[in-house]
Parts: sequence; C-alpha cells; structure tokens
Amino acid sequence: MEPDVSMETGSMIRVAVLPVGGPVPPDQLRDYVSMLVRHQQVALSSISSFYMEHQKSPFTNQPWETGSLRFKFMVGGSPPSPWEDFQSNRKILAVVGICHCPSSPDLGLVSEQFTAACKGYASALVERCFAFCPSDSQLEDKFNKDRRIILFPPSDRKTQEFHMLTMVQDLAASLLMEFEKWVLSAESAGTILKTPLDSQASLSSEEFIKAKKKRLGRAQKTIGDYCLLAGSPLDANAHYTTAIELARLTGDVFWHAGALEGSVFALLVDRIDVRDPALEEEVKYRYFTVIQLYRRSFLPDNSRRISTVSFELEATLRLARFLCRHELAKEVVDLLMGAADGGKSLIDASDRLILYVEVARLFGTLGYHRKAAFFSRQVAQLYLQQDSAYAAISAMKVLSLTSKAYHIQSKRGDSNSGASPNEAKSTHAEGGKVHLQSIVSLFESQWSTLQMVVLREILMSSVRAGDPLAAWSAAARLLRFYYPLITPPGQSGLASSLANSAERLPQGTRCADPALPFVRLHSFPSHHPSQTDIVKRTPGKEDWWLGSAPSGPFIYTPFSKSPSTGGAAKHHNHHPPELTWVVGEPVHVLVELANPCGFDLTVDSIYLSAHSGNFDAFPVSLRLPPTSAKVVPLSGIPTGVGPVSIPGCVVHCFGVVTEHLFKDVDNLLQGAAQGLVISDPFRCCGLGKVKLAAPPAITAAPPLPLLVAHVVGGDGAAILYEGEVRDISLRLTNAGTVPVEQAHLSFSGKNQDAVVNAPYEALRSALPLLPGAEVSLQVTVKAWQLSPADRRSKQGASPLLVIYYAGPVAAAPGRRLAVPLQVSVSRGLRFVKARLLSMEIPARVSETLPAAAPPAGEEDGRRGGRLVKINPYRGSWGLRLLELELSNPTDEGFEVNVVVLPEGGAAAATDCSTTRIDRDYSARVLIPLEHFKLPVIDGSFLGKTERSAKAEVDACIDSLISKIKVRWRSGRSSRGELSIKEAAQAALQSSVMDVLLPDPLTFGFRLRRTGGAAIAASEMVPLEILVRNNTKELIKMDLTISCRDVAGNNCVDGDNATVLWAGVLSAIGLEVPPLEETAHGFSLYFMVPGEYTLLGAAVIEEATDMLRTRARTESPEEPIFCRGSPFHLHVTAAV
Amino acid sequence: MSGTTACFVIVSRNDIPIYEAELGSSAVRKEEAAHQHQFILHAALDIVQDVAWTTSAMFLKSVDRFNDLVVSVYVTAVIIHTRLMLLHDSRNEDGIKSFFQEVHELYIKILLNPLYLPGSRVTSSHFDTKVRALARKFL
Repeated sequence: MEPDVSMETGSMIRVAVLPVGGPVPPDQLRDYVSMLVRHQQVALSSISSFYMEHQKSPFTNQPWETGSLRFKFMVGGSPPSPWEDFQSNRKILAVVGICHCPSSPDLGLVSEQFTAACKGYASALVERCFAFCPSDSQLEDKFNKDRRIILFPPSDRKTQEFHMLTMVQDLAASLLMEFEKWVLSAESAGTILKTPLDSQASLSSEEFIKAKKKRLGRAQKTIGDYCLLAGSPLDANAHYTTAIELARLTGDVFWHAGALEGSVFALLVDRIDVRDPALEEEVKYRYFTVIQLYRRSFLPDNSRRISTVSFELEATLRLARFLCRHELAKEVVDLLMGAADGGKSLIDASDRLILYVEVARLFGTLGYHRKAAFFSRQVAQLYLQQDSAYAAISAMKVLSLTSKAYHIQSKRGDSNSGASPNEAKSTHAEGGKVHLQSIVSLFESQWSTLQMVVLREILMSSVRAGDPLAAWSAAARLLRFYYPLITPPGQSGLASSLANSAERLPQGTRCADPALPFVRLHSFPSHHPSQTDIVKRTPGKEDWWLGSAPSGPFIYTPFSKSPSTGGAAKHHNHHPPELTWVVGEPVHVLVELANPCGFDLTVDSIYLSAHSGNFDAFPVSLRLPPTSAKVVPLSGIPTGVGPVSIPGCVVHCFGVVTEHLFKDVDNLLQGAAQGLVISDPFRCCGLGKVKLAAPPAITAAPPLPLLVAHVVGGDGAAILYEGEVRDISLRLTNAGTVPVEQAHLSFSGKNQDAVVNAPYEALRSALPLLPGAEVSLQVTVKAWQLSPADRRSKQGASPLLVIYYAGPVAAAPGRRLAVPLQVSVSRGLRFVKARLLSMEIPARVSETLPAAAPPAGEEDGRRGGRLVKINPYRGSWGLRLLELELSNPTDEGFEVNVVVLPEGGAAAATDCSTTRIDRDYSARVLIPLEHFKLPVIDGSFLGKTERSAKAEVDACIDSLISKIKVRWRSGRSSRGELSIKEAAQAALQSSVMDVLLPDPLTFGFRLRRTGGAAIAASEMVPLEILVRNNTKELIKMDLTISCRDVAGNNCVDGDNATVLWAGVLSAIGLEVPPLEETAHGFSLYFMVPGEYTLLGAAVIEEATDMLRTRARTESPEEPIFCRGSPFHLHVTAAV
Repeated sequence: MSGTTACFVIVSRNDIPIYEAELGSSAVRKEEAAHQHQFILHAALDIVQDVAWTTSAMFLKSVDRFNDLVVSVYVTAVIIHTRLMLLHDSRNEDGIKSFFQEVHELYIKILLNPLYLPGSRVTSSHFDTKVRALARKFL
C-alpha cells in the first residue's frame, strides 16, 4: 500500500530527488529541496517555450491554456513497485540529483555518481542534476560541456528561485515530450503490460484473441494514465473508456477496476474542491463499482497468494478522503470501518501500518479525535512490534499525538488545554465554591485505564527511542495521576525509571510535568503574629492606627465584615484576603507535601516559585517515607515592593526540576471530594482535610521598623497573689532596618486596668528608635481579684501591652506590637469579714483629761512593739476598733501590715504593727479608728433625708476605708495590698454613725489636785467631772456620777458602801453651753484600796430633734440617756 | 454461550466512565485485551455522539465495530445523557436490548439516591452484582 493516496495521485508525476556527490549539509539540503518542492504544479502555458513538437502530439485535447502538470517529489527516491505497469503514476518518471558543490569539487565524479544513481530508476524518462553554490573554477569546468549538471551560480535567493523555476519548467517540458514519445510508441508497437497477478502460464494458456484484446485494453489504460500525467484529462478519459470496454469484454476485472478508477481521476482533474452533488454521486457510483471490482479480482486460488486487498483499501481510502466532510460523516465512517476491517487480511505489517495511519488521519480530519487516537495507537503498536529505535521514535511521536484525545497531554506547550483548567481555577479562587458541574468538567473524559495504558506505552517507546525527557515526563504523569492504580512494586519501578531517565539528562533539566510529591498550600503563618502585625496607616491622622484591623485580640470582629451582608458571599469573593509582606523580612509559607507511593521519596530541593520576580526563595531538602505527608515551612525574602505571586513550588526531585502549581492539586482535591478522581493523596497519607482557602493577594511593602519585645526575666508568666504589685520590665529592640519615628503605647484586653503605672514618657523620649537600638520600659501591674470564672481558666486574662509604631515614610503602613503581660494570678490572702468592735478599756483618772490624739513620743514607742499598747491613762477614750478577719489559703506565710493614712496625705501614716499569718491559718487584725470622729455633732449632718443621708454615709465610709490600707508581704519579693473595700463597707454600714459622730456629751474625770496621780486609801480625793457639750446648742441635763468596785457593785450607795463622798453625786442639774465644758467638783474617800470605776451619766432634758435622731429614740417622750466612758481609779493602801 | 466477549461501560455526560465491567463468559482474560476493549469503546464515543442526534431511538445497535467486536449503545435521556455501552461479539440483539433496559432501570435507582452525585463513579457493589447477573441472563 502507498501512503497518502487521493484522487489526485493518479495525475502526479513521481520525481525522485537524490543527493549526489559529497555529503550535503542537512540545512543546505533542506533549503535546496524546499526550493524544488514548491513547484508541485507547473502550468502547461508556462512550459510552452521549452516544448518542441517533434511529431504530432498524441494528446490531441491538451488544455494548453488551463492545464498543468503535477509533480510528486520523492526525496531520497523509492524502490520500484511491482505494480508499476498497472498504475503508471507509481513509476519514477524523472530523477533530480542535488549536489552541494563546496563538498564535491570534482564535477566529473558527481556526473558519474549521478549516472550510477539513475541506473536504479529504469522507468525514469528525464534525469537532471542540480548543483548549487559552484566555485568559479567549477563554473568554467570544461568537463561539464554536456550540461548534464546544471549549475546554480551563487546569487540571491530570488534569482536562485527563478532559476529553479526555469529548470523545473524545462524538466516538465522534457517530460511532456517523453510522454508523447512513449504513447506514440505504445500505440504503434504495443507493449506487454503485466502485474504480479498475471502468471506467465495463465497469459499463454488463454485464447489468442482474448489475450490480444486484453493486451490492447491494458495498453489503452496505460495510455490513459500517461494522458492523465501529461495533464490532458479528455484524452485520458477517451482511452480509459476504450480500456473499460475491452477489459469488460475480456473479463480482465483488475484492469477494469484500474481503468474505471482512472476515469474518475480524469473526471476530477482540477475539480477536486468543487462541491457538486451530481459529481459526488457519479464519483461514489463509479467508486463503489471500482471497490467491487477490486474485491472480485482477488482470486482465492491464486497460487502466489498475491492479494489485491491493498488496491481495494486504497480505493476505499481515496473515496473516503474525497468525501471526507462532516456532513457525510456517516458514509465516511462506514468506508473507514470497512477499510479498517480489511486490515485483517493484509499480510504485510507495514501495509497495515499505512492503512491505520490513513484511517487515523481521515478520522482526525472528520473531527473524530477519539477514533483517530484509537487508530494512532494501533499504529504505535505496530511500530513497537518492530525492533528498531526509529520505529520506537515514530511510536513515541504517534502516541504523543494521541495524548490529547486521551487527556494525558504533557503540559509543555499546550497552552490551549491548560487554559480551561486555569480559568476554572481562577473562578474557584474567587469563588471559594465552585459549581459542582464545573468541577466535574475539569475531569472530563478521564478514562483512567486507557490513560495509564497510553502513558505506559509512551514511557516504553520513549525509553526505546532514547528520549529520556519524554520518558521522564510520561513516568511522572503516570506516577502522579495513577499511583492508586499501580501496585507498590510498580510504583517503585516507575521511580527507578524516573531516576534512570534523569541520569541521561543534563543536570538541572526542567520538565513541565510535575511528578511527586503532591504539594499544596497549607497556610501563611508569621513567626509571632502579634509582634509583626502590619497596620494600615490612615494618612494625616494622629491616631493613624484607629479603624484599621486588627483592632484587638479577636480574630472576628462583627464590624470589620463588609456591610452588604445580603450579598456577602459574592462580595467577599472578589476580595481574597490580603497579606502584606515586608521587603527584607523573611517570610514563611507552610506547604503540605504528600508521598502516597510505597517508596522513599527524596526531594533534593523544594522552594517557593515566585512569578513576580521580587522574591528570593530558600530551598529545602527533605525525605518523605512511604505513604507519608509533612507540613514543611518554606521561607524566602521579598526583594522588591509590589505584588508577589506564589503560584506553586519548584521541586527538584528524581533529578529533574519541575514546577508544582498549588491550583493543580486543589483541582485534584476538588475532584477527589466529588468522587471523580481515584484518591486524595493527602488524606491517604493521614493528613486531614484542609479547607480550601482562597490564596491571599500578597503585596510586598517597603521596609518597616520591627520592634521586638523581650520581657526581662523570661517569657514565663509572673505568678502573683491577688493584689500583688509587681514591676514588669520590657526591653524593646528595633530589629528592622528603618527607625521607629512614631510609637504609641496602650493597653487592651481583659484586666487592662490592672496596669497601675505605664511608661508612656519613657517610650516617647526614646524616639526615634534607630535600627538596633533598645529601650527599656517598666510597667507596674497590680494583680487583679480572681473571679470564680477566672479561677477555672487562667488563659487570656493577662492585659496586652499594645504599641503602634511606624517608620518615617508616611505612605508605608505601620505596625502593631502586642505583648501580653504574662501575669498569672493565684489566690492570696482572703478577707473573711470585718467587724466594728466597741471595746471599752477605761482610762485612768489623772490630773488631766486623756488627749484626743496621743503625743508623738508615745507613738514612736508603740511602733517598735509587736502589740498595740493601750495607754492606761487613756483607755479607749475616743477609740473604736475595726476588726478584720483574714485567712491565708496559700502555701506561704503572709505578713500583714495595716496602715491608716491620716487625713491630708500619706506622709504620717499610722503604721500598726505587723501581723504574720501562716499558711492555712486565719488571723484578725484590729484597726483602731480613733481619728475619724468629727469634733462636733451637727444638725446638718443628721437633718437630711434618708436617701441623701445614705449617700453621705456611703461617701464617709468610702473615705474612711480608703484611708485604711491592708498591705501585705510574702516571701522575698511579693508585696501587695488587700482590697477590703466591699467587706469593710458591709461591716461598717450599720454602725457608721457610731464611728463617725461623737456622742452629744463627753464625760471626763480628773483629779483636782497636783502632786502625783497616786491615790491612797483613807484619804480625801478631790475629783472633778468635766462634761463637754459636743453640739451647737445648749444642753440641760441631769447628771449622775456613779462609782463601782471591781465586782461592779455600786460602792457609793447601798449597804456595803466602801466609799464616802463629799459634794453632789446624783441629780446634778447642769447646763452646758454649746461646745463648752462644765466642771462639777466632788470628793471621794476610799476606805478600801483596789480598783474603782467612775462613770458619768446624764439624762438630757428638753432634747432637740437632732439629739433624738442621734440617740435613735423612737418616741419624743423617751428620755435620752447619755453615758460616758468609764474611768479607772487605782487606790493603793494607805501609807 | 462459551467464549463470548463483552465489556460493559457506563459513560457519564462528561465522557467519564463511571462504571466498567468485563462481562465475558471466558473468565480469565488477559489484561491487555480488557484494555483493548475499553479503547474500542472510548473510540466509539465519537460515532455515538453523532449518531445519537440523528435518531430518537435509545438503543443504537452496532454503531461501531473493530475487528470482530461490535459496539452497541443505549443512550439515556438527554439531560443526564449517560451512555450505556456494550462491546460484544454475540449477535443476540434482543438480549442486548433487554440487558440495556434492565441496567438502565438499575442505574435510575442509583440516580435516585440522594447521596449520589450525578456524574461520579458508581461504586455500589449491589449494582455490580445485579449487572453481572443480568449479563448472565441476557448475553
């Protein structure tokens, strides 16, 4: 069979093109041949000048104006066909030699070689040898006198082309003249025309007449062929008609078919492209006959087993090619299927090869790519059956043509097919969710079984053909996409073929098809997210950080969401999350690598591939054990301002560099999720599903300052007891390359008011903070009270120190540094309850009244002691005690120090002595409340409404409590203050009036003599009671003085009176003017030494409302009884 | 019925094979042959694609052939446009038609499963068993 048969082949003159002389450089040869080959059709009108009519032309109807000669140049020549006589167009009718003069100096030798070469082509009628680029000496060569070698003098291309055209026209004219000669001789003499079908015996055994007629018919057919070659279809048709008649008569079926076929050729000369239904019908009708005739001509008893099937198939293919249009697809398919079926009866494998090639080509023309691919694969298999590298190369090429139909094409250069997934992906990137159908469409026509088979065949053929890159690519595709269908030994085999191919490739070869591992984007972390946050600057604003996210420690803020919640999903789609990287600061990207195969995978290097060109990536090498996955941080440094795109990773694995795009894997995973692809490589390696987040839009910002905070004493949390005050030292270092020009410090988070003292000034004065400079800040924190919720979870309770800072460039964003002040609060000293004690320790009667405030010296004396000492001469005069009960549930002992700040400042704080509370113990601390009494009882205070009085009382309590500080210390460094406010308030609420307000009357006793305070028995002791009116009104009263002994018995009155007296002791009517004192003198005579108590009491007469309120009387008739503090008298025995 | 070859494939509207089964009664066959069967079926899609639009019949008998193997196709409703394709060498047309009709019914049951995404692989073993039983019955 012959390749490339069509309706036109019958009218084509075959010209063998042979290189002669010395070796012609391939480029030159290609150049020369291309000059020649373009003249495939030479118009008859153009050759008339070269044509000389020697005798009357047999081509009577030659269309000199419109006709043309067609050439088919067979570069390299072709072996003679046994069927030459049957179809004259199979003959090589001319030989053209091509000689490159610089490599063959001796033209004589070239001439000899050419003559020798032409000997192989007995059928050649015209021979020419074209010699290019001759030297001057060659041009003058006298051996070339006979002009057998046509020299093309060196000149410009156009001239040479013109020269070539002339030579081809001359060749055509010569051929035409030779055809005339041949036809004339054939007509007159008659020739014996035989095909391999005709055995010698059969020809001679037949009847003479029939044989002659048969011979005549065959001659007519051949003359028709020559007419056709000479470009005269009318003459050809006439001869074919005669031939058909004769062949029919003689039953020469084979030649009948040939002649009929020729008549169709003649019919179609110059009309191939005419779409005439009538013509088509005619051609179809005749051709079906032709096919029938060829089929009939096959003689089953043919002794030489020579088959005419190839002619039948060629005729079928010719018709199919003629009809090959989509409208006629059905007929063409039927023809092609018939032809393909005929392939079975072809004996020669190369014939079958040609048949399948042609069938595949025709299916391809028809647009049936899968059919074309199917037959191409058949061709490849036939090639692979041959055992030569060239056949393997052909197989590889043919298979790679099929790869598109099977959707396994290499990524190299297929921009078209690559585009559709890209588009789908881009919508995916924006959409986050793809419509199901569009995912499905990504995996259209995935016949995995077939794909694997074809890839295996590509791999096999490229290994045989010695194309390591193609082999690598095929093995990579096979391993990457079909690993779940391949057994572990098969996977290892592929891995070793990858390695073998890579060995034969130069170092650093790139391949468009990624192999393993699977790489997908995991996340974009930053080292310390809180330390490198980038904040957009609101230009021209003092608080430039306000209104820019993130504004707090929360990831989600309802306010940062886009306002159009209705179309939120859609709106969101067009804004992938934004990420800012800073030029010069290394960044990390986490990627997941998966090796789902059963062998150890060594990744020589993997790094981020940046298409934007402003990113330096750092390669990493690693090993992935069988069926394992890893999350790997890949890092790099942005080098230029602007958008950065990281579409994937560049992987150097199995000796070849490939780029792995994230979106490819994303698509794969999408498909896996839909059950369209066989397996999810990450899931089978144990890595969970990662929500497919849209990749962020990354921009690189100009260099920014970078503050790094370092907490002195380590990052661990400081453990503080509730109320403990501690200084936390921070060192801030500018690790960036740009100075910090602005910085603002603030606190946020829970318990932010625990910060007692913030170093605003220290930070401000340190600006600008140059690169590398350091500043120390001290923050004072007071540990907060634990609430029950805090006790359960201590996480996130620490306040955050937030510093917004920016560099000198106003356009560049600023930064936010958030340092959690790591404080872990544990339960400290507990405050159990507070009570107001009214303890009465009587004062001793002396020459003076007890002072309201103890003298300074006395206080000093007290401070050193461990206990509160009561001045015996003072007693509890004007003193109240607040009892605080504290418990210590911690593991450490506490020392409590109660400090009462006097009014007007902390300078002279009254310091009570220290109380130690051991672990798990409780203790009571007494606080003397002596300085709080108002000097005057005033109506203004009491005469108020209930409500305002309460407010006043509260205010009083507050001010009272704020003066009391319960300070504690524990261990070596812990010190703090106990918050007693609430508890104390509760305790004091009921008795605040007693604490604050003085009684209306104060009673005091004193000796009315000088010379020592000692009192002896049996002596008259002059005493005096002093009654002080603490109100602003005159008070009338009925005063009574009583004296009691140790047992509490009245020792003035009654039967057992041991004290004698002088003066009035009871029912003394006294009037005390406002804020004045009145004295009443009397004398006592103690008969028995011992301890005595003097007590003054009075019944106020005509009491005012104010006094009644103070006394809390219920009815106006009730007498108001006023009683003073008791006074002691120590009576010694008489001397 | 010994020695018959049959390869059955369901192709989704996206030209993805969603179910494949070798139904031939000659039990042990070479893997190579199975591949070849699928190749033939895959190639036949081109013709089915054209022929399906020229006829209203669902059953397209012998639309394509290669060597001795014939491809018959049953095209389901247009929206789903799933094609049941059988490669066979027997000429039992009625049996093939019945086989297709029964399998189509089975496939509709699969489609009615709310958890089945139309166009994805049919992995139900029950379906597989039933299809093989039908093949024994009709082919």
